[in-house]
Amino acid sequence: MAIDMSQFYQVFFDESAEHLAAMEGLLLDLDIENPDPEQLNAIFRAAHSIKGSAGTFGFTDLAETTHILENLLDRIRKQELGLRAEMVDAFLQSGDILRDMLEAHQGRGEVDAAAVEAICARLRQLSTDKPLAAPSAAASTPLSAAPAAKPGARVFDIQFVPTEVSARGEGVKNLLAELRSLGELEILSQPDDGVHNVGYWQLRLRGECGQEAFADQIDFVADNGAWRVLENQPAGDAGDGAFGFFDDSPGAPEADAAYGFFAPLETPSEPSPPAAKAEDDGYGFFEPLPVAAEAADVTTSAEDGDGYGFFEPLPAAPDEPPVAAEEGDGFGFFEPLPEAAPPAPSPEELAVERIAEPAAPVAVVAPEKPAAEPRARAAKAAPAAAAGGDSSIRVSVEKVDQLINLVGELVITQAMLLQTAGQMQENAPERLVNGLAQLERNTRDLQESVMSIRMLPISFVFSRFPRVVRDLSGKLGKQVELKTSGETTELDKGLIERIADPLTHLIRNSLDHGIELPEKRIAAGKNPVGTITLKAYHQGGNIVIEVGDDGGGLPRNKILAKARERGLQVSDQMTDQEVFNLIFEAGFSTAEQVTDVSGRGVGMDVVRRNIQSMGGRVEIDSMLGVGTRMTVRLPLTLAILDGMSIAVGDQTYILPLSYVIESFQPQAGDIKTLSNQARVIQVRGEYLPVVALHEVFNIKQRAGDFTQGIMVVIDADGIKAALYVDALVGQHQVVIKSLEANYRRVQGISGATIMGDGHVALILDVSAIAGMAKSSVQKAG
Amino acid sequence: MEAMTQSGSAAGEEDLVASEYLTFTLGSEEYAIDILKVQEIRGYEPPTLIANAPAFIKGVINLRGTIVPIVDLRIKFNLGKIEYTPFTVVIILNVAGRVIGAVVDSVSDVISLTRSQIRPAPDFSATFDTKYIIGLATVDSRMMIVTDIERLMTSADMELIDGAAA
Repeated sequence: MAIDMSQFYQVFFDESAEHLAAMEGLLLDLDIENPDPEQLNAIFRAAHSIKGSAGTFGFTDLAETTHILENLLDRIRKQELGLRAEMVDAFLQSGDILRDMLEAHQGRGEVDAAAVEAICARLRQLSTDKPLAAPSAAASTPLSAAPAAKPGARVFDIQFVPTEVSARGEGVKNLLAELRSLGELEILSQPDDGVHNVGYWQLRLRGECGQEAFADQIDFVADNGAWRVLENQPAGDAGDGAFGFFDDSPGAPEADAAYGFFAPLETPSEPSPPAAKAEDDGYGFFEPLPVAAEAADVTTSAEDGDGYGFFEPLPAAPDEPPVAAEEGDGFGFFEPLPEAAPPAPSPEELAVERIAEPAAPVAVVAPEKPAAEPRARAAKAAPAAAAGGDSSIRVSVEKVDQLINLVGELVITQAMLLQTAGQMQENAPERLVNGLAQLERNTRDLQESVMSIRMLPISFVFSRFPRVVRDLSGKLGKQVELKTSGETTELDKGLIERIADPLTHLIRNSLDHGIELPEKRIAAGKNPVGTITLKAYHQGGNIVIEVGDDGGGLPRNKILAKARERGLQVSDQMTDQEVFNLIFEAGFSTAEQVTDVSGRGVGMDVVRRNIQSMGGRVEIDSMLGVGTRMTVRLPLTLAILDGMSIAVGDQTYILPLSYVIESFQPQAGDIKTLSNQARVIQVRGEYLPVVALHEVFNIKQRAGDFTQGIMVVIDADGIKAALYVDALVGQHQVVIKSLEANYRRVQGISGATIMGDGHVALILDVSAIAGMAKSSVQKAG
Repeated sequence: MEAMTQSGSAAGEEDLVASEYLTFTLGSEEYAIDILKVQEIRGYEPPTLIANAPAFIKGVINLRGTIVPIVDLRIKFNLGKIEYTPFTVVIILNVAGRVIGAVVDSVSDVISLTRSQIRPAPDFSATFDTKYIIGLATVDSRMMIVTDIERLMTSADMELIDGAAA
């Protein structure tokens, strides 16, 4: 291949992941009783796009699975099959499988071949279910009034030359397997080279199915026009003329084929006013029944009434063929009535019926979406066109990050200039000062705009939860409704990716432990359907995400008992907050039994750790019998931090402002020692361990004794400490730079930044420093 | 560098292909490193200290927005006079995807060496760890110690990388 496709792989992966996500969202939204055809089309388009590009890039496994999925979707879309809940389940599962395949192609994880096989089999089975006879289908499709007649054995001669891609992959093999499942398959000739199956294949299939059952599969393996199917009539006397059409160009787009097949008709309304009235746009597509149709059949179907009976004499056919009009949701297509076949079908009539079917489902979509005609191969780009309403470009994260870095540089340079001008004091020309002020404003605006590029709406995370809730509530036998709000709240992309897991965990937790079983809820006088609310909003410089449920609430006594059992230091005087925070301890679980959902006690500690590593916090509010609310607070972005610069010796450090509670100058005698080693200081009635930063970092300090310096009280997730520093320098917004990119992790340091004068200042890791204080006190005590 | 680390026994055309090396001095010794590993050469500026780092890691500097650690090779190898003057030179290296600054006494020259000019160093295990030495080369009667700077900088000895290989 001349073009190296691998360079486009990432785009394919991204796009396919988006299509899968869109498909899942649509599936979950779908009203099973009364599916919106526009939604069905959208789902179909998503599957079709994945199939198309997977085929282009040679990911045959993806393409083949999607193909089966697409087939089923297509039939539902065209109302040949009624939508059932189990189908939605199967679609969701196959979505998962496809996602696994995508991941596997990206080198992450593996695909469970058995699961792929199972889902393919499931989809095939669903699509071969007797569609028209299914009672459930009757409600949704007018077509279903026509029961499928049992087809007799039919013989097809299939000839095709597979494309290179499918020949190399499993394409041909799968096709053969598929054909075998339909009936007796005989390979008349096949290419000599068994390894590369590129070559001329000739097969003979004996089975009860119609051509449409496998035509798509062949079309998928072979290029347009590179295959043909001839049906050999066992009776051999009738139907030949009719099949002639298919013989000619089976690979041609079906829509075209269908058009070509229609009888020339001036206006549809003329011969049949009732049916035509129902058709707003009056698409004049009519299907004649081939010559073999007998006049008797016509009368049968005429009596069938019900908005069908739309007959049109066909000049080419001497007999009167029945032409059925079907009005359905803006699709105007007309189909032959299967009832036309007498109760005991003779082979001829069967042939007639079979042949008419494949051409029938010509979906002519409403004019505003002309591109949505998915069966027409020419419209392959249609989904892109339909989705192209929003004007956005796909840019790699590295480019954005580079831009952010450069703007960070600009901010530093600007600060440097400002500082220099400030040093000139009165001597600075006024125009320079004004220009610098202007520059400052502009850089700030620029920085804000650039940072906003990385911002994504939190719906990227929220959108996965309806699925989680749906699956889990089914598994647990609970009825749960998920309500989300604030999906448009924007969050840094880095945070979006990292918040997904903790949030999933919180939701699973609410589902498993929070929401009670329906019986229990009814007994408690609640609505049997539990509610989980997911809310996101801005508050101050933070993003707040709330996961709430109206379940049983946290049992305070049970938690305390469990904590005692585990030997944790607890007392009955502890506040609710403190008690609830115990569930974040590693290995803590009050669940009576371990389920595969939760209860192992692993998780909540991980949730807290993950959220803390993002610079966030998690809080719990709960009321027994009323519900629980977990509140996650996150900084707006990972790249910028509000910091307080402090001086220790000749070094400057940055202390993240969110950890600082207060600062004061200690008086002589404020500081006491424990066992003459660890120092403590009393602050507002609390003894806090003292961490002298110059000792931690081994720096020669400027101030002589404690009264010369400043104590900064810090609170790192409940651990308080007094940090002793030489001086407070100022408050800045700092751009966080990684120290580990070129160096290694340093104990007590979380990163670095560049100050206005171009120097590097290290950012303190407050949790680690508070931890040091704790351990030093414990050592001493 | 890849080619250089392979056994030097392969004779023929390869021996004639010359690579360029940057030479610098540490005390009275001259070292040569692959010039492709050198990003730039700049003057010394006082770095920001890193707490509890070994003495030869001077700290980190801001190199146009990148935080770069500075290693003083003179302290590491106990060579030359440890003083920082306006003429103290930092070689900014680009090794193993990282940017690292190395303080040396002075940068002297860029030379071309063919593989045949680099002789294997005698093995004196006790003094200087010879695993970082590719070989010795003589140019104008001066001896150059041809060093595998990437291996040196990424080694556990330098304490520059978390969990570096020994």
